[in-house]
Amino acid sequence: MAHPRVDAIVQQARAAVAAAQSSDELEAIRVGVLGRQGSLTQLLRSLGTLAPEERPLVGAAANEAKRELEGLLDARLAATSETERQAERSRKRLDLTLPGRRPPKGSLHPLTRVHDEIVSIFAGLGFSVVEGPEIETDHHNFEALNIPRDHPARDMQDTFYLSDSTLLRTHTSPVQIRAMLAQKPPVRIIVPGKVYRRDGVDMTHSPMFHQVEGLAVDRAITMADLKGTLELFAREMFGPRSRIRFRPSFFPFTEPSAEVDVLCFVCHGDGCRLCKQSGWLEILGSGMVHPQVLRNVGYDPEEVTGWAFGMGVERIAMLKYGIDDLRLFFENDLRFLKQFA
Amino acid sequence: MKIPYAWVREFVDLRLTAGQAAERLINAGIEVASVTPLAPDLKGVIVGEIEAIERELGKGHSGYPLFLCRVSAGRDHYSVVCGAPNTKVGVRAAFAPPGAVLPGGRRIVAAKIHGVQSQGMLCSERELGIGEEHDAGILEVTDASPGADLVGALGLEDQVLEVEITPNRPDCLSVLGIARELAALTGARLRPPQVALKESGAAARSLARVRIEAPDLCHRFTARVISGVTIGPSPAWLRARLRAIGLRPISNVVDVTNYVLWELGQPLHAYDYETVADGTIVVRRARADERFTTLDGQERALDASMLLIADPRRAIGLAGVMGGANTEVTGGTKRVLLESAWFAPASIRRTSRALGLRTDAAYRFERGADVEGLVTASARAAALIAETAGGTIARGVVDAYPRKRKPQHVRLRMSRVKRVLGIAPSPALARKVLTGLGLPVKSRGADLEVTVPSFRRDLSMEDDLVEEIIRVWGYDRIPSTLPGGAISLVTHPATLRQSQTVRQALVGAGLAEVVTYAFSDPARVELLRRPADPKPVELMNPLAQDASLLRTHPLEGVLSAVATNVRRQQADVRVFEVGKTYRWGDGDTGTTEPRWVAIALTGGRSEPGWAGAPEPVDVYDAKGLAEHVLAALSVRAGTGEAGALGGFEPDCHGTLVAEGGAILAEFGEVAAALRESFGIAAPVFAAVVSLDAIGATAAVALRYQALPRFPAVERDLAFVIGADQSLTAAQIESTLREEAGPLLRRLVLFDVFRFPDGRSSLAWRLLFQAEDRTLTDAEVNAIQERVVRRVTETFHITLRSS
Repeated sequence: MAHPRVDAIVQQARAAVAAAQSSDELEAIRVGVLGRQGSLTQLLRSLGTLAPEERPLVGAAANEAKRELEGLLDARLAATSETERQAERSRKRLDLTLPGRRPPKGSLHPLTRVHDEIVSIFAGLGFSVVEGPEIETDHHNFEALNIPRDHPARDMQDTFYLSDSTLLRTHTSPVQIRAMLAQKPPVRIIVPGKVYRRDGVDMTHSPMFHQVEGLAVDRAITMADLKGTLELFAREMFGPRSRIRFRPSFFPFTEPSAEVDVLCFVCHGDGCRLCKQSGWLEILGSGMVHPQVLRNVGYDPEEVTGWAFGMGVERIAMLKYGIDDLRLFFENDLRFLKQFA
Repeated sequence: MKIPYAWVREFVDLRLTAGQAAERLINAGIEVASVTPLAPDLKGVIVGEIEAIERELGKGHSGYPLFLCRVSAGRDHYSVVCGAPNTKVGVRAAFAPPGAVLPGGRRIVAAKIHGVQSQGMLCSERELGIGEEHDAGILEVTDASPGADLVGALGLEDQVLEVEITPNRPDCLSVLGIARELAALTGARLRPPQVALKESGAAARSLARVRIEAPDLCHRFTARVISGVTIGPSPAWLRARLRAIGLRPISNVVDVTNYVLWELGQPLHAYDYETVADGTIVVRRARADERFTTLDGQERALDASMLLIADPRRAIGLAGVMGGANTEVTGGTKRVLLESAWFAPASIRRTSRALGLRTDAAYRFERGADVEGLVTASARAAALIAETAGGTIARGVVDAYPRKRKPQHVRLRMSRVKRVLGIAPSPALARKVLTGLGLPVKSRGADLEVTVPSFRRDLSMEDDLVEEIIRVWGYDRIPSTLPGGAISLVTHPATLRQSQTVRQALVGAGLAEVVTYAFSDPARVELLRRPADPKPVELMNPLAQDASLLRTHPLEGVLSAVATNVRRQQADVRVFEVGKTYRWGDGDTGTTEPRWVAIALTGGRSEPGWAGAPEPVDVYDAKGLAEHVLAALSVRAGTGEAGALGGFEPDCHGTLVAEGGAILAEFGEVAAALRESFGIAAPVFAAVVSLDAIGATAAVALRYQALPRFPAVERDLAFVIGADQSLTAAQIESTLREEAGPLLRRLVLFDVFRFPDGRSSLAWRLLFQAEDRTLTDAEVNAIQERVVRRVTETFHITLRSS
């Protein structure tokens, strides 16, 4: 099937491919022979000028030559590229132990993390978030919560005053009052926010800290529901092995009142340094909403009952992350903050 | 409050250790902070008797002469150097022989003092850690034999419960109260102290008279008179008890009043009868500007709201708070008038706070004393005074009781117990619990009727009794259930969602969130203020002068965080805070609390790494982050003029404004004076985004636009602006956009270059694209030429030749 004109092109191309050193040279040969202006392409294009009997012969030969050269070029190109890539790699010699180029990483404040976690746990239990002002009236912060003026219960919360009737709220509980005045039962809310007590700064005290208040009021809410809800919360926050216990306590706006402890998750009740050998860690105060508080917002304590709790976000964060000094939260040392990135 | 356990056991039989009793109390709501041995950490300290004083060794450093004594400890005898003023032959005192250990691990060894070997040490109260007394000399232990263990000889083999009583339980502010609680919790019988009162001679009525002129503030006042007393030190048992509860023994009569206060919870006061004019007590309000000297020697200015104990001539006591110097019991007192009274809690609290005079008496009266129990307390104290100070108790008691307490009954429905707790004990058990607490109970059908005794002022309604029942029955009996009822949609306020979005955006951009105090230093506020700014919100009772205002400027917190880190060798700080400022306004609190995001940056733009040193941050980082926040909240804004907030460098302060002109954000370089006041040397760039302004601005609705189907044509145009021209990129850009028309799909400023001669070059990339066809070169060329001509002619600037 050979044809002298085709043979000449093929011979020449074979020699060139054999001699070629790089993929660029091979590409040049491909263009020179098989490209639009290539010798073989030209030959095929000029078939019309040949004698009719020669045309099929040359055509067939040229097509065969084209297939052969394409195969040859591809094989050589593959081999050459691999060599070239290897050469390239060894020339670059990447040190992959160099650190990756990371985007800068920010960090949420640990109190925000815990806040978000608390909000999300209670949202899952059907609690909506309500917010309230940090500057409060004496009425909302104390009187409506059954803490009259000249009552020793005021000693429990040393207060910053702006005037005789306004103050920095000492707890998130005044938002209970605002929320209940604004809506009819049933109520199921949590109230996160900053609160203030006139305490100097030390490892466990701060004049400003964060609380999350919870409030549920409905026709048939019991203290057992409070316990069940807080048990669920503790398991979500501190792990599935968590247990809680209720201890009687006193808050003027709840009756009965309970301090809630969580089983120490370091020693599981055996006693250790974290729980001061008691086996339990105090995490929040709670109780059944005092009937007088319900009356103060126009609810009928014979119609509805309710419970409320208030927990310190710092306290939860300290327990959860093993932080032993409250001041760290407000110093904002980046070496502290970045641990929560 | 310190409660010695042995004292409690005088009133109730308990088969519990002090630790177990504490556990029971804690589980019933009486907080016990600690249980500690009464005896301090002593080992081997015994009673020693000074048998002989061998010789004087000269003066010691206390100024008293030092003696070499022979001390007998029963079988053994020691040579001991002692310089106490009460060193006398025959004295029995605390003795630490060699090998004994005093508090703080101080081990006694034989040592040379003034050249003489001293085998051990005779000890003072303070050295033994059982009191403060030191100057009086070594602790004498009269009624014990030499060689006896000191702890046993002093009756210190006891445990002390440190209880913390909540304000609702004044009845537990006493040994008897704690005993009553433990009796209720264990079922043991309560045995209140028996008072054996031997009255004789004149009737009290003939010696003392009481007139209450302010019956609203003093519901009851009783007086007893004890004649022929001899004031002197209390017997050892009484002094030991007082020391155990942390009080300093003074004299028998005063010690007895303190003892009974602790035992029964009733504050008492003893007057020197001879100093009370006509033996007549008048309980009245103070006159305006009346002055009175309390027995601590302080003269105090009173006002008409304060209650006084007076005689017909003058004030003799600040009712319920402190007695007067003029009627104090002294060494020469022969006859005592004993007060046991009930004062209105709120009045006592106001007076005690107003005068800054917090006493044990005031503490109890402001929580509520027992108006019925005070007679027993008076009798108990009178008997103890007669026992310890001698004398005779006048017959009867003068009892002015103008407002007799009415019996109180509370109805308790068992159904209510169940309704509140989710569980209820049987009515019989409920009855038993309440009776055990000293509350008489009668059945009324299915319900109970409870009589509230005078010592339980905290019980006034049904739910109070519900708590009593579960408190004693056990909170651990409450089951765990979940609330039922209708389910409603959980909603979060827009403000919460907004701040969560902002936090995510900025944390994603590599910033660290900070949380800072809301208090401000007035000196700093001055630096942040602009003349027209309103007066800051001020605290009446700040913790410190430099924290007396509430934050007025959003940047204060983040700048303090920057300062902390820079001071701690961390020069690259990129932080933000979602917070509030506080200002006077309207509403029920008369204030408003604007919400902000504050951003502060200093140092490098990123962490230093191997790929090259990071660029230092500049104002465009601050602006960019503000824009990033707005974008995260889907709010569109353009650059505006300098803003309203102080604290920025005037020539580096810009704003981002909404379409209507509302300022959404401000950014710039922090004013040098402000940053220096924080001790920050490096430039700080900051941005403040008003979350309230954004909340009031419509977010851009998300809406899909078809993707382009035809290829785009890109053209780059650079313009050179003369050194003397004040022209902004925004000006050129808006003209450029306007002239280019709708086919311009994107416009990006991709290069800014400043020539050494002050000219600058701004280069934009323009992307043209049509929705319905492929644009031809000719079409784009025509637009480009128009744009170039318009821009160069409008602004008198030139196209930069490539």
